[in-house]
Amino acid sequence: MLMTLLVLALAMGPTRAQQQRYTVSGYVKDKQNGESLVGISIGKPGTAVGTVTNQYGFFSLTLPAGEHELQFSYMGYAPVKTTVSLYSNKTLDIRLESSSSQLNEVTVNGQKQERAVNTLNTSINRLDIAQMKKMPAFMGEVDVLRSIQTLPGVTTVGEGSSGFNVRGGNSDENLILLDEAPVYNSSHMLGFFSVFNPDAVKSLNLIKGGFPAEYGGRTSSVLDIRMKDGNNQNFNINGGIGNIFSRLSVEGPLVKDRSSFIVAARRSYIDILMKPFVKGDMKDTKLNFYDLTAKANYKFDKNNTLFLSGYFGRDKFGLGKDVDMNWGNATATLRWNHVFTNRLFMNLTTYYSKYDYSLNFSNGSKKQQDEQLQGYKWTSNIINYGLKPSFTYYLNTNNILHFGVQGIYYTFRPGTGIGTEGEKERVKELTDKHALESAVYIDHEWKPSKKFGIQYGGRLSAYQLLGKGTAYYFNDTTPGIRRTLVGSKEYGANELIKGYYYFEPRLSARYAFNDQNAVKVAYSRTTQFMHQLSNTASPTPLDIWTPSTNNIEPSLSDQYTIGYFYNSPNDSYEFSAEAFYKTTDHQLDYIDNANLQLNQLIEADLLPSQTRAYGLELYAKKDIGRTTGWISYTLSRSERKTPGISLNEWFLNRYDRTHNINLVLTHTFTKRTSLSANWVYASGTPGTYADNRLQFQDWDIPYNSTEKRNNYRLPAFHRLDLSFTLKGKQLKRWKGEWVFSLYNVYARRNAYSIYFKQNEDDPNKREAVRLSIIGSIIPGITYNFKF
Amino acid sequence: MKKLSLFIISAFAALTACEDKIDLDVAPGKSYPVLDAWITNEAGPQTIKFTMSVPFTNNNPAPIIDDATIILYDLTNGKSYPFAFKQNAYSYDATNSPIGIVGHAYKLHVKYKGEIFEAYDTIKRVPPVDSITLKFKTKEESLSGKEGYYATMHAKDIEGGAVDYYWIRSYRTDTTRRLEDAFSIDGSYDEGVSDGATFILPIAESITDYDKPFQQNEKVIVKLRSLTRRSHDFLTQVDNQVNAGGLFAKVLENVKSNVDNTTPSGQTRILGWFGTSAVGRAEKLVK
Repeated sequence: MLMTLLVLALAMGPTRAQQQRYTVSGYVKDKQNGESLVGISIGKPGTAVGTVTNQYGFFSLTLPAGEHELQFSYMGYAPVKTTVSLYSNKTLDIRLESSSSQLNEVTVNGQKQERAVNTLNTSINRLDIAQMKKMPAFMGEVDVLRSIQTLPGVTTVGEGSSGFNVRGGNSDENLILLDEAPVYNSSHMLGFFSVFNPDAVKSLNLIKGGFPAEYGGRTSSVLDIRMKDGNNQNFNINGGIGNIFSRLSVEGPLVKDRSSFIVAARRSYIDILMKPFVKGDMKDTKLNFYDLTAKANYKFDKNNTLFLSGYFGRDKFGLGKDVDMNWGNATATLRWNHVFTNRLFMNLTTYYSKYDYSLNFSNGSKKQQDEQLQGYKWTSNIINYGLKPSFTYYLNTNNILHFGVQGIYYTFRPGTGIGTEGEKERVKELTDKHALESAVYIDHEWKPSKKFGIQYGGRLSAYQLLGKGTAYYFNDTTPGIRRTLVGSKEYGANELIKGYYYFEPRLSARYAFNDQNAVKVAYSRTTQFMHQLSNTASPTPLDIWTPSTNNIEPSLSDQYTIGYFYNSPNDSYEFSAEAFYKTTDHQLDYIDNANLQLNQLIEADLLPSQTRAYGLELYAKKDIGRTTGWISYTLSRSERKTPGISLNEWFLNRYDRTHNINLVLTHTFTKRTSLSANWVYASGTPGTYADNRLQFQDWDIPYNSTEKRNNYRLPAFHRLDLSFTLKGKQLKRWKGEWVFSLYNVYARRNAYSIYFKQNEDDPNKREAVRLSIIGSIIPGITYNFKF
Repeated sequence: MKKLSLFIISAFAALTACEDKIDLDVAPGKSYPVLDAWITNEAGPQTIKFTMSVPFTNNNPAPIIDDATIILYDLTNGKSYPFAFKQNAYSYDATNSPIGIVGHAYKLHVKYKGEIFEAYDTIKRVPPVDSITLKFKTKEESLSGKEGYYATMHAKDIEGGAVDYYWIRSYRTDTTRRLEDAFSIDGSYDEGVSDGATFILPIAESITDYDKPFQQNEKVIVKLRSLTRRSHDFLTQVDNQVNAGGLFAKVLENVKSNVDNTTPSGQTRILGWFGTSAVGRAEKLVK
């Protein structure tokens, strides 16, 4: 069916092109800083002809020979109109100037902005850094992951939890890309801040469904974060001083108009501030994180640009001199944008990504003379290398082909434990695992008319677990208890241990009734070969990733989406309603008392489960005027069924939230002052409550005699945050602003979990305890500057 | 290891976190008989408790089951020890000759409501606790901000042979109430990294309640008990469940039972555990 459509569409192209046609192509950039602009609408006023710039700011438009008036427009930028005499193929680079006052309504005629009502894809939310900056932030700091949590369909299990959940999916089902390199742990300080430095971030796309064929490897969502290129016109220094951490970034041209760079760094300093107040065992306590984000680009000529970007970040935690723990990501991306012809664009990406942690205990500083040195160290990491050539072929105004190849090679080092005593060292090393994930994909974007458009395609995914390694074989037993080993087989280097192959169809279609109203449908199948092993309330920095094996089948997900989109005639309001239904097979679950650490036979403790999620997402947004913002409401359910757990019945996922409301509002009083508010309400997450206690060896053991998991719901979560921004007087170059923020304004103690224990002072009293990660109002002040 | 790390890491979340006792409306569940049987090689009375489970927040003592018949069998030497019910528990007086012998396998036989239940365990070897040392810390010096004596247990894993599993329980002054519990594999947290090693510091230092360190004239008592792997798995599961707080808490799961109903088409289920240990004991008076 796909091939038929493709052939049909391709056949129609040339037949209609009797008239001589030429192509105009080029890049759209910001006039002030040279940043390439993504998603800019390019249109011929009064016609349906148009396109948008891609992720690198490139566009290509094929039109009949003649004079054409083209308009380039984007929210927040003054539109540019230009006339092109198209009697041969042309290159056209355009620079847009950001509109001096965001307060004025910018009315755009002709081709619409890139609004949801106009795009083919459904379930995509795009945020650029300017929007994120308007939202109230935790402790005054703009945060990428916190901002996406205000979007419909996105939730978390609670404050301080790493990761996020999209459309009832687990947090390890999100593919988080920083300049196309996957990031395995997206949070600093256990989820309070994300690892992405807002000073270096340009924009993000969150794809929750209707995945284009280009994306694969995760079943729930893709969070595609793009870094800034760096100002290629002027040197700029940006910074911020806050009560948790400070930021500094430098950007500027290396060669004006041709090459630029940005380097951005952050460091937290709670431990340094704490230092004068701690003594004894707490002295030398380390509690900090830092990250460094850098990018440079060089434009060789109009057809070739090279980008090099990297990230390095670390969280450190130490107690005295004897306990040292740290973890972090490192990524590096090299990209080459090449324009083969003005209708064929290629981006070649290679990347490297690593996540690792290290835990270290020793008696080094406390050791008495007659005592031996004693230590324990535990490390683990995951490394991957990727190669990703992707092509966009602009066939004509109505047809675009996206195609490419992807390959990722993984090395997992699940854990090494080293015990030291005196001179003696004992090492336990789990064997490395290796895997190759590869795919070929093609997507055809076909817009036969102004009203109808379709993007369809497919992705052939291959996953191969490779040697050197061992395949383990286990017996079948009652589900829910540890399986026992019955055999194993050794494999040599690069030998195939187990392969899985899938075809993943993708489809999105749009029908517009008029300029204001459109409906869209989408279907996508996705697969996932990497799983984060976590059986705690929320993932921890120490939860390892493990590949699919002969015992762990890759998860396979199908999602159906239908949506209605409305855009008000003057572009000031947007509204959307989307419904989704998603099923996933072979999700991981765990037997009771599973051993997920330094366990060579970890597969014996894993259970396959089946999940389903469905919901309705409503979203209304106001972009223009003194008061802007959005409200989102999600009604959803997320459940799973695992043989051996909860009487083999369907039960709610830990991250299920029936209702979820997010209200984000910003009111601009004057050019210098604005107030933002964010209110979130979410049904409590499910929890398992104990209805019995067993008296055993002086303990009171909580016990749930119903054996049904997640049979209760925690109290609802709600919270209001406010932030007030005061911009300093505009000096010659120096721009400063104060951000005052209040987090959890009415000091609600939202339940993170409820658990059962003996009273600490009187063990004969037993109680249910509510744990709130944030129990009070948290003020924050940040001073941001730019010059 | 991981648990300890996570405990330490999440401790700083305590800067903003708070815990409140709350009232929950939990539907009353089904009550089960619970067997609490831990036999050791110590001299003195050996006691087995058999109670009914009660709603979690019910603060009354659990109802005692007094009509069961309990007999312990040493499967290695063929001896049997009947446990008689008196004063709220089933006991056997092993004052003159201890029951437990290292290397012996045991079966517990329970007759309850006309049905027969059986459970098995083996006594593994245990090293002695060589000594306990104390360190006085002022408010400023201690991690928890509490002044007092912080104790360290000194012991060494037995080298060679099978993997050794341990349970360390400390007491204050007498053994009527538990103080702290810790678990260990070969002296550390994982097998394969510490065979024959001195018990690593986080475990050796785990015998003090950091919120209430030892004071003058109190006695630090430590019992180091050997465990089978199954008993170790069970106890660490219990430990996870009774200390389920914090950012990275394990979700509530039901602890396993090793008490099997061997009556054909038997209807009753008994929860709890039958375990056996050899014990190394040490104590030190704070003065």
